[in-house]
Amino acid sequence: MTDAAFSALASLADPSLLLMLAIGVVAGLVIGLIPGLGGTGAVAILLPVTFGMEPEAALAMLIGALAVVHTSDTVAAVLLGAPGSASASVTMLDGYSMARQGQAKRALSLAFLSSMAGGLIGAVGLTLAIPLARPLVLSFGSPELFMLTILGVSLAAVLSRGNVVKGLMAGFLGLLLGLVGTSPTTAEERFSFGSLFLSDGVSLVAVALGIFGLAEIASRVGQRKVTEKPVELTGGWGAGIREWLTHWTQVVRGSLIGIWAGVLPGVGATAGTWLAYGQAVATAKDKRKFGKGDPRGIVGPESANNSVEAGDLIPTFLFGIPGGVPSAMLLGMLLTYGIQPGPAIVTEHLDLMYLIVWAFAIASVAGAFLCFLATGSLARLTRVPFAVLGPGLLVIMLLGAFQEGGQIGDLWVMVLLGVVGFFLKTTGTPRAPFLIGFVLAIPMERYYYLTANLYDGASWMLRPGVLVFAAVLVVPVLWSLVKKLRGTSGQADDGHRDEHDGPEADVDDLEGSLAGTAWSAGLAVLAVLVFAGALWVSGSFSEEARLMPRLVATCGLAAALLLTWQEVKVRRSRTARPVGTAPGTAGEALGTGGSTMVATRVEPVTDKRTHAHAHDLRIAARTFAAMAAFLVLAMVGGYLAATLVFTPAFLLYAARVRPRTAIAYTLVLGAVLLSLPTLLPVDLPLGLLQ
Amino acid sequence: MTQHVDVKDVTAVPTQDPQPASDRMPPSPGLAAAVVAGFAALAVGVSVLGGDLLNPAASTTDGDYSGETVEMMIPLAEGGGTDTWARFVATELTQEVPGSPGLAPVNDDGGEGILGTNHFMSSARTDGTEVLVSTASTVVPYLLDMPAVRYDFAELRPILANGTGAVVYARTGAGVKGVEDLVDRDRPLVFGGIAATSLDLTTLLAFDLLGADVESTFGFEGRGPVNLALQRGEVDIDYQTTSSYGPAVEPLVEDGTAVPLFSLGQVDESGEIVRDPNFPDLPTVVEVHEELHGEQPDADELDTYRAILALTYTYQKALWVPEDTPDEALELLRSTAEDMGADPEFQEAAAEVLGGYPLDASPDLAERIGDAYRVDDSVREDVLELLETDYDITID
Repeated sequence: MTDAAFSALASLADPSLLLMLAIGVVAGLVIGLIPGLGGTGAVAILLPVTFGMEPEAALAMLIGALAVVHTSDTVAAVLLGAPGSASASVTMLDGYSMARQGQAKRALSLAFLSSMAGGLIGAVGLTLAIPLARPLVLSFGSPELFMLTILGVSLAAVLSRGNVVKGLMAGFLGLLLGLVGTSPTTAEERFSFGSLFLSDGVSLVAVALGIFGLAEIASRVGQRKVTEKPVELTGGWGAGIREWLTHWTQVVRGSLIGIWAGVLPGVGATAGTWLAYGQAVATAKDKRKFGKGDPRGIVGPESANNSVEAGDLIPTFLFGIPGGVPSAMLLGMLLTYGIQPGPAIVTEHLDLMYLIVWAFAIASVAGAFLCFLATGSLARLTRVPFAVLGPGLLVIMLLGAFQEGGQIGDLWVMVLLGVVGFFLKTTGTPRAPFLIGFVLAIPMERYYYLTANLYDGASWMLRPGVLVFAAVLVVPVLWSLVKKLRGTSGQADDGHRDEHDGPEADVDDLEGSLAGTAWSAGLAVLAVLVFAGALWVSGSFSEEARLMPRLVATCGLAAALLLTWQEVKVRRSRTARPVGTAPGTAGEALGTGGSTMVATRVEPVTDKRTHAHAHDLRIAARTFAAMAAFLVLAMVGGYLAATLVFTPAFLLYAARVRPRTAIAYTLVLGAVLLSLPTLLPVDLPLGLLQ
Repeated sequence: MTQHVDVKDVTAVPTQDPQPASDRMPPSPGLAAAVVAGFAALAVGVSVLGGDLLNPAASTTDGDYSGETVEMMIPLAEGGGTDTWARFVATELTQEVPGSPGLAPVNDDGGEGILGTNHFMSSARTDGTEVLVSTASTVVPYLLDMPAVRYDFAELRPILANGTGAVVYARTGAGVKGVEDLVDRDRPLVFGGIAATSLDLTTLLAFDLLGADVESTFGFEGRGPVNLALQRGEVDIDYQTTSSYGPAVEPLVEDGTAVPLFSLGQVDESGEIVRDPNFPDLPTVVEVHEELHGEQPDADELDTYRAILALTYTYQKALWVPEDTPDEALELLRSTAEDMGADPEFQEAAAEVLGGYPLDASPDLAERIGDAYRVDDSVREDVLELLETDYDITID
């Protein structure tokens, strides 16, 4: 085996192979920067180039791209709060908070170094896991996969900063949205209301970029000047590496979880990154800073993020079952070379397997290194006011979302979800569980249905894997209950979602700014109505298709009712409390993500806050209206024409930049749009006039 | 592991922000309006004129495709068998066509492929520069006449076709040693499927034809996961298409975990069901019926099975152009494909992609494929009845 390993390494020393690898890495990095394109885009652009190449060269190129896409997709998540994939949303939790505290460079350095290590450990894992993969994959039946989806959503709901009821409600809302479309078990359409467009379900990229990215634009475009004071890391690269090295245990644990989760096709990638985050929180002594820029919240998930890709290659090669579209395309490429996936690949194409492992390792290091070198210039992006970034970001994000299905309807859904995301954000409802619920809804239903049909009664619940997952789910809850009963409620331990805010918590002035107001009560009531409506609509489905929507709607209804009750209680206690008391608690309440207890300050301050709220809401409303206007323009005159009209108008009237800047900005953006379709596999939406 | 915000390394440096925007005077209304108006004029120019300038009319009837780009609609997501097949075949084909046109594959898996195919039907250019890929996921809804389907293969013309086959196999652990264990069972065999209205349909018809004692559970993500579920013992019987049989099933047969039962067969040029050339040792459904029941299957049922088999396997993958495409352009594409299919070099390069079935582009293809795709009402009724009675599915 070592012979094959070294001969594969020697073959990689061939300059032409290295060149292919480098092309793949650069393409992967560039494509990863654009939120929404991701690994699918990277492989789609490179695949046609590889037809006619030697298999080694083609593989080097594709693996080079795959290995680094999740390195550079961190940039948009950390700097702009716009994750292009479900797994990048985990890094966003702490990374974006850190960037907003002016430490973008630190966050990016940690992320890139972790990506590199994740990729390296993933490559080693790929080698070692080959003999273990078969029993591992075969020991995971439908019941275990079902439990894994439950675990993914619950972890996201419990671990996101914010109160747990709000987290659960967001998770159920996401699950419900994920159920829109064709049922996986009976192929009947649910919640599509007769629309063929909705029968496909909602596009993942539209959900991720809408709920996070557009909501971020709307809530920050009002700030014309940059509020963050950039904190310079004077220590340079050395300091970044030193700090990262102190978290090496997180790196190893994150990577191992990533490999393991990547091996499980379908649910692995999403749930795995959350498991990595979950273990980082669970094993930390001081949990207060999670969600507010804790380095451990970046290191663990980001390592997992990249090793998942390596893990994903195991079922792809050994069973011919790809975990995602990128590996599916890779598989297709192997087939055209007559390389059949299957257990025999290890014996028949061992050299190729090692080539893949080495290419993966080299690409991870090279990609992360390139990104690491660029952190300084990338971090400078946070100094540009959002009002100026806004139109360019909007145009690029909408274009990214359009690529998945090529439907302009997706873009409307995305803007609509932007509004939802804005209100979730301002009312302090965590958005990550929403996204994870959305991604895992169909796998959860599928594996629940298969479990119920293929196993007799409840016998599946006694399978060891199921018991382990159930323990992971239940034990922490019991543990905290026991602690609470003992009266040592553990101030330090689960403070990460309590009101113990550090000074930096006030950085994001909009996060949770509407918590405890009529808006947040309204959101809870609206959620009650949505769940009740879903419950009513699901009555018309066939018995099998009804099971999951009913369960989700009922549980969601319970969570939403509980939340409504909490909101009412808060409002009542607030009106009951005389104005001007408790100045001490007021500081805590301000800006906390999940604080349900909101006290008022003295009256003038209250007035000012209400005034600020009205101002924020007005700006958000105007921004969303501008987005809608842009889409209308795009539907009439095409995407390029819409951009040419929308961008200067927005820049001049909303961002109030100099006319010269507006002209140059628009021309550059127009040129980018004009050249993108020839450079990348990108289509521009066409208008009626075209 | 406490906090690692190293205060010494971190110093706050005030920003040398460009002058905060809010303090700046807004640009004068006249100037702003002029800039926006200028861009609006440019935009109108781009949207109205740009389209024609960038896409000049194609000339494909002169026996030369030089300077053209062939757009290929793939109504499936990227990756997977048919997508790979289409990209490979079309890349080779466009290289062979005189003038070597460019190729632009477009994937649109909306509505399980129905949206993309509908879109092609309504808006494809009829000059031979737009081609459509058909596959089981768009053919079965067409066969079942689903309400969302707005395309009609009778109004399209085929360039080339390529078939595939499939083998039904079972888990020995479920007590299956051969075809005789398909019937008279104490406990029905569990079949794992994706959906009754997918490619699974042909296999379900085969079970129905044989009177096999099989119970179906749908909801799997794909055939790969079903194969894994069979190895775990969650399901007992499964089928795999020719290209995945080798890697997914052969190792199981070798170690005795699974046993191949029969192939779905192929429809030959005279319309008979014959053994699959890739599995010459495996009996067809018809042979199994004779072995189990001592007679030929019921003629009507066999007709239905044969029609569906031709549609979903023998002519499963095809490239099409719109009906109004000039004969010269279509003939150029077809004859190029025919020559390419006969070229030993291509055959060798494409052996894996074509899955052991010839690239069919002979002059009478349109006629044969037309026969296969013109599904009789009686066949359609039979299928709908089976779906309704056995699988509780009604197509409205």
